[in-house]
Amino acid sequence: MGMTSPSRRSLKTVSNTVLVLIAVCFALPLAWLVLASFDPSATLSIKAPSSFTLDNFAKVLTPEISFIPLLNSLLLSGGCAIVTVVVAILAAYPLSRYRLRINKPFLYGILFGTCLPITAMMVPVYSLFATLNLIDSVGGTIFFLAASSLPMAIWMAKNFMDSVPISLEEAAWTDGATMLSTLTRIVVPLMRPGIAVVAIFVFIQAWGNFFVPFVLLLSPEKQPAAVSIFNFFGEHGSVAYGQLAAFSLVYSVPVIALYVLVSRGLGGGNALAGGIKG
Amino acid sequence: MVAIAETPARRFGGEPGGLPPETPKQRARRRSQIATRRSIARSIPLLPAIVLLSVFLLGPVISSFYGSFTNMSLTGAAAQGSTFIGFENYAKLFGDRDFPKSVLLTLIFVFASAVVGQNVLGLGLALLMRSANKLVRSLVGTFVVAAWVLPEIVAAFSAYAFFSSKGTLNTILGSVGITGENWLYDFPMLSVILANIWRGAAFSMLVYSAAVQEVPQEITESAEVDGAGGFKRLIYITLPVIRRSISTNLMLTTLQTLSVFTLIYVMTGGGPGTNSSTLPILAYQEAFKFSQLGFGTAIATIMLLVGAVFSIIYIRALRPEVD
Amino acid sequence: MRGKRIIGLTALLVGTALLASGCSAGGNDGDGKTIKIAYQKSGNFVQLDDHFKEVKKTFEKANPGVKVQLVTIAAQNDDYYTKLALMNRSASTAPDVMYEDTFKVKSDAAAGYLLPLDKYTKTWGDWDKFFDNAKAAGLGEDGKTYGIPMGTDTRALWYNKEIFAKAGLTVPWKPKTWDDVLDAAKAIKAKVPDVTPLNVYSGKTGGEASTMQGFEMLLYGTPNGSLNDEKTGKWKVGSKGFEDSLQFIKDLYVGGYGPTPQEALDPNFGTSVSAELLPQGKLGIDLDGSWLSGTWLESGTNPWPEWNDVMGQAAMPTQNGQKPGEVSMSGGWTLAVGKNSKNPQAAFDFIADALDKDGSKNYDIAASQIAVRSDVADDKEYADSNPSFAFFSSIVANTHFRPATTDYSRISNEITVAMEAVMTGQQSPKEAAAAYDEALVGIVGKDKTVKG
Repeated sequence: MGMTSPSRRSLKTVSNTVLVLIAVCFALPLAWLVLASFDPSATLSIKAPSSFTLDNFAKVLTPEISFIPLLNSLLLSGGCAIVTVVVAILAAYPLSRYRLRINKPFLYGILFGTCLPITAMMVPVYSLFATLNLIDSVGGTIFFLAASSLPMAIWMAKNFMDSVPISLEEAAWTDGATMLSTLTRIVVPLMRPGIAVVAIFVFIQAWGNFFVPFVLLLSPEKQPAAVSIFNFFGEHGSVAYGQLAAFSLVYSVPVIALYVLVSRGLGGGNALAGGIKG
Repeated sequence: MVAIAETPARRFGGEPGGLPPETPKQRARRRSQIATRRSIARSIPLLPAIVLLSVFLLGPVISSFYGSFTNMSLTGAAAQGSTFIGFENYAKLFGDRDFPKSVLLTLIFVFASAVVGQNVLGLGLALLMRSANKLVRSLVGTFVVAAWVLPEIVAAFSAYAFFSSKGTLNTILGSVGITGENWLYDFPMLSVILANIWRGAAFSMLVYSAAVQEVPQEITESAEVDGAGGFKRLIYITLPVIRRSISTNLMLTTLQTLSVFTLIYVMTGGGPGTNSSTLPILAYQEAFKFSQLGFGTAIATIMLLVGAVFSIIYIRALRPEVD
Repeated sequence: MRGKRIIGLTALLVGTALLASGCSAGGNDGDGKTIKIAYQKSGNFVQLDDHFKEVKKTFEKANPGVKVQLVTIAAQNDDYYTKLALMNRSASTAPDVMYEDTFKVKSDAAAGYLLPLDKYTKTWGDWDKFFDNAKAAGLGEDGKTYGIPMGTDTRALWYNKEIFAKAGLTVPWKPKTWDDVLDAAKAIKAKVPDVTPLNVYSGKTGGEASTMQGFEMLLYGTPNGSLNDEKTGKWKVGSKGFEDSLQFIKDLYVGGYGPTPQEALDPNFGTSVSAELLPQGKLGIDLDGSWLSGTWLESGTNPWPEWNDVMGQAAMPTQNGQKPGEVSMSGGWTLAVGKNSKNPQAAFDFIADALDKDGSKNYDIAASQIAVRSDVADDKEYADSNPSFAFFSSIVANTHFRPATTDYSRISNEITVAMEAVMTGQQSPKEAAAAYDEALVGIVGKDKTVKG
């Protein structure tokens, strides 16, 4: 970043201060979440707990309430991420490397696909799934989640692929290599950070998805945590806020940890955005 | 016999030797046949995506679109078999006293929280993080991203607990002697806009962090040597270079913000009255509370059109490369 | 050739996956040997699940060869209705028995989801033990029985005895007219200033709570007051009772004896009332439902051990004290049978087993429900289980059920809009009533309305 002149140093101090202030602003709304999870009689008002208790966590950390739904979330989100990444990379290859007539309409088409109101479409989706006998099928739900994540994923994968220089493949082609082999042996290894980014983005979106698994799955033991979180909402609008807050923390920590891990492994959050820069 | 599809090198031309000479017409036809076969072969990797999208999304989209021209309903007599009613849903929508206000609120919400809020904050964070130390960068990164990865219902409750009249914000203001307003009641749009910025800034921050890294150092440094101050460098060098990222990010954040529902519903319920009823809230009421699916889908179609209009504006104005 | 191989591989993958997922799909039994029971279950509402697990045991023993499959749905009202409707629309997922809100019986019957049960109730000995007005709640628009009531709820005035003492009001409180209620609120306001005197749910955000706990408790207490004509089913416009009810809301809110509009219009106000305002002694009187004590039990979301010492109940009086002197509204849930059930006899037998005297009693006690069977209402164990049950059961005799037709939810929405306009002072009761009439005509058509 160059020499440390006085103006550079003061810029650094100002940046640091402003950033810390912003960080505090972002952390503040989370204060309620943390306080309520340790409060035996939590409500929606912010208050210091009358007595500090781990009861909420104890009640929440049971197989039925936490472990099985979290496992299901992992299965759904992980499955969705894998399917999406594979299909998106395959699709991104011709979009990135060749000038086909189908490219432009396909890309614009999937761009609009990113703003499809999935909730408004759930009735025909349900009928479709019922006809295919895929209701209450984890596999079917994974494929649907993947299909709805594809537009964004293809977009991102294509952008990552664009920044991999084509010269290496051109050399391979003159040596007689096939499309599939250049894809798997040259492009994919060079795109590894990008692939991680797409995977984690899709994973996070699927982790928080309530409506799709709610509609497409019947058995309670197959429901992910995003659906089982509504177990804390009782009749006539009563909500067990303390347990809800505790559960939310348990629910969010895996995803945040995953993000931190992946971004650390990719050399900081900057790599994460490389695929979205368009 | 090696198939054309297997040797992309063929696209650089070159004919197999030893064949009788062709007429120009024959050659042109053969070239286009080869080109077509090549195109088809090259499109094959698109096939899984096309299959998934058409099976799971295309059918339901068309069915929903058709549904907006019927009185489809989840309950009541119309659930037995819906009747085609043409544009009646749309006419009712445009005549609905709440619709114009809902569109306006949606536009305000999208513009303020996505176009301005998330993008400006995201860019600002990205620029500032360049000259911050590592610990601060991690701290900011973690909290900003935490707001993004929280499940939507939890983020909504946290935001509610923050802005409610006995909430975190007013408690803090109270401790320094300022009486806070009743944010959710008197300033519902402001509250949900701020909450949405809080929730979505992470995405823009990540995009701009990478984009800004791509700005070649030589250009900024030579500009600095020429006497251009920080602000001038930002406007005349950095922003134009990351133009494509700006437009792509604008598009993505706009489209995502258009469909925000849970956040607003939990914080204000769309109220007071209809003061924060954006289109998704309206669609939820009509489609689910009143089980008028046809009507709800009509609203969703309008939302899609609004999204399309925004996208076209961005593409025309900023010309990102799609190829 | 590589290209073809890619196609082949993809097709194989997709095909296998679909096949595999098809195999793992929830087993659909179409031969009537299994009956599917669909119902709500959430972290705090486990009572029905516990109950059905017991019934499953006795039922399967008594009916060898028929298996019971319990399908729980963890969702709240609108989501639950949506999920149930989706399940009903597809033959492969339609349940045989479902937990059906009285609110939805008429519209779901019209949608063709439910089976008429009259031929089964005719031969069921227990049926005449059910209260008539409870039976009426399970009727479809065609007058046939579609739902067997499990329990119901009633609404009345909960009041804080300690605040009443401070305000110099006599306890036990027995108001005879609307004026008595408002007078009590005025007394509380004068003598106990930090407390909200009286809460009546109102406004759009409150949704059905505003309509049922608020407005209808007033309207049905006016002379001949109701939303529609009982005989013809036509909806009333230009009703004096409607306007008078709005006037009460205005007197309460604009007069300053109720919560502030900001509080009342908060989407989370309901939880605030039961979890904070009442236990903390910040609310004097609350027009609310019989389930309220459920929140304060040890097993509830906000346990409050002293609730029965502090809170008393009084029936909501009619407007001028005219007969029958008190008014209440009731909702409640039923068990219904799916229209296309492959084994309707087994389905009904399951219901009969679940709702026989002991079943109904045990469920009502566990779930803080008000009895719908006369033999349960008279049962000592039932009355003893919750101190407020005796009171809430006593007003079942004078309770009303909503005209929950297909259009009802939209009409209810218009009612909340009128309430909100009046409580914020934006419109006078007359104007708001006129706006409601206009909206009503827009929803049901002029020929379905009648001057009332």
